[in-house]
Amino acid sequence: MSARALCGIRVLDFGLLTAGANTSAMLADLGADVIKIESGAYLDPFRVVGKPDDNHGWWNRSPQFRFTNRNKRGLALNLKDPEGQRVIRELAGRCDVVVENFRRGVLDRAGLGYRELSAINPRLVFAAISSQGDTGPERMNVSFGSTLDATSGIASLTGYEGEEPRISGMDVNYPDQIVSLFATGIVITAVMEARRSGKGAFLDFSQREVASFTLGEEILAASADPARPSGPRGNKEEGVAQQDAHRCRDERWIAVTLDEPEPTLEAFCAGHDSADAVSALLARGIAAAVCNDGNDLLRDTALQGVTLVRDERGGLVKGLPYRLGGKGISVERPGPDLGQHTDAVLRELLGYDETRLRQLKETGVTSTTPTIGEV
Amino acid sequence: MAAPDDLPLRRFTLIEVNDAKVPLCLRLATSLAAKIAADLGASVLKIEPPGGDPVRCAPPFLPQGESALFQFLNTSKRSLVLDLASDAGRVALEGLLDKADAVLFEEPAAIAPLLRAAPPTPIEIAAFPVEMNAAARPVSEFAILALGGLLHMVGEPDRKPLRLGGHQASYAAGLTAFTGLAAALAARDAGQTAPSVRVSLAEVMQWVNWKAASGAEAGGVSPGREGKNSEFQIVPCRDGHVAVVYTVTQWPATRALIGDPRLGDQKFNTRAGRRQNIAELYEILTPWFTDKTRAEIQAAAQARGVPFGPIFSPAELLATEQYVARGFLADMDHPALGKLRLPQLPVQWNGRSFAPRPAPELTA
Repeated sequence: MSARALCGIRVLDFGLLTAGANTSAMLADLGADVIKIESGAYLDPFRVVGKPDDNHGWWNRSPQFRFTNRNKRGLALNLKDPEGQRVIRELAGRCDVVVENFRRGVLDRAGLGYRELSAINPRLVFAAISSQGDTGPERMNVSFGSTLDATSGIASLTGYEGEEPRISGMDVNYPDQIVSLFATGIVITAVMEARRSGKGAFLDFSQREVASFTLGEEILAASADPARPSGPRGNKEEGVAQQDAHRCRDERWIAVTLDEPEPTLEAFCAGHDSADAVSALLARGIAAAVCNDGNDLLRDTALQGVTLVRDERGGLVKGLPYRLGGKGISVERPGPDLGQHTDAVLRELLGYDETRLRQLKETGVTSTTPTIGEV
Repeated sequence: MAAPDDLPLRRFTLIEVNDAKVPLCLRLATSLAAKIAADLGASVLKIEPPGGDPVRCAPPFLPQGESALFQFLNTSKRSLVLDLASDAGRVALEGLLDKADAVLFEEPAAIAPLLRAAPPTPIEIAAFPVEMNAAARPVSEFAILALGGLLHMVGEPDRKPLRLGGHQASYAAGLTAFTGLAAALAARDAGQTAPSVRVSLAEVMQWVNWKAASGAEAGGVSPGREGKNSEFQIVPCRDGHVAVVYTVTQWPATRALIGDPRLGDQKFNTRAGRRQNIAELYEILTPWFTDKTRAEIQAAAQARGVPFGPIFSPAELLATEQYVARGFLADMDHPALGKLRLPQLPVQWNGRSFAPRPAPELTA
């Protein structure tokens, strides 16, 4: 990969699930050294959600975790233990960026919030990604993925025409997926400022606001005209003559967008196999595509572009959403086992010796196995 | 209106080239990426074709007849009309490019070969991955949602698949292009050769929809739209609808919130059990919502840490307490259109928001 815009930048990554962990993954893709902090008592929930079996080491085999956390090193440090907190504060002095998406107040209570860490390292760029942002009456509200489809406005515009609104659902959790695409660029911008001025920044991201931002023109139009009709529109789109999904002879759905109305389209699709119908429509200059599922995406390597890659164990993981310098990425390290790099990183960055590392292990500050009991 | 002189991208000059005859869904991505940079203080010059960017005539419209879409996507930019089909237009453009850090454009633009070879870092928006070799293929956002597998995920399993509301394919690509642009500017700033950036809507949609590929790879069966079979459903309440959402660990709190003894049946104890008895589960859950407002439901649910989501329309978001308290919606004084209220960039930087400045009028 030719783009190493963040070479020399080190990220202290408390990111969990997609919104946080993927922001730091995108920083890793740009050359940053990302060290992910978990603890035996609090794993990234993706390790649990994707639990494949009950055998020893299950916490290291979750596909969702491995998809998202490639190219990072992993540490396990107990953030509730004062000794663990002391190690984190030392690490913060050696890092440029913090990424976290805990519920508001969690890091503050551990003495690891922006105020404490920036006092140690004024250059620190601290990205706090939360459901509602760090201020306001709803700052402590919990949400999970599709909660934000609902509260952001996206759900109100999604659904069959004239029926109830719809969410993207638990296999998409759409609002979680787009946060990192924006937050990463803002973190890079703040890193540029910190390089120049020596001053870091507290970046307060509200996931709900990111989702509502994608409806900017709808919110603007509604503010100017409160009577503007709203609600689910099926697959129709304002300003588009005709647009819908149609079932073809082979039972597959295709998506078609037309500049001129064509009442016979439904019958045309029903009479043709999907691939033939799409070819015929494209040849007429009409935008059309087969409705793919996950297996179709796995098969179509041209369509994949740079979005999927395999790690050294052969596991499929996330690639890039863009192509930099004409290329995608190769995975330099697979998603880390729990606490896989604790000792190596503490030796390398903080100069800890074997006695100190053993002491941390014996007191349970560091670990490589979960202590969360049955899940 | 001049930009405040302490904005983070103030040192950078960007050119957004709007060539004629480019699919609108690509233009929306280009314009969003450049708008974010402009709101952050970059000097962005938008080169429009004679007659203007077609987005100026795209819905939704403001009561004055102007495009709300254009006004949202082009805040804080300047505009210059150039006929890039003419020699004079191209010469003028080349002069501007010499002084720019990055140039944003779309793959099918006739001017694209010139821009790829120009001094500024190219940020190129395409519909499809390079590997498809399909620059000329007809495209719409809707077709991209189908190709990327997102369409397959929303709706009832035995009915047609549904798109998400808004311009999600274009805007997710626009956010991606902004991050690519930031990476390129950071490389230039550090004295490195900046990477060119190429963003395709189809790749971004697959990347966003990664759980479809991950799920298919892990289990052999693709995830898909579950509709009324899903554990997360929409239920009506007194003043609208609420999305029922909870994680596995939040089920006991959800059960306590609803308070119906029938939920104590052990068949509802596990996720698998709830999914097997989903219709019965929702028969029990639904009446609890009927006589309550969204505000009452949200307050009761949040008190127990349950993430139910009241559904708000764009008009209702304007009055949302949280958005008002955070100042998320900016009141922008437009010289011709008066006061416009629109979302600001969704970040606060040391407590500061980035107030957008009005989109440029069409001149010449």
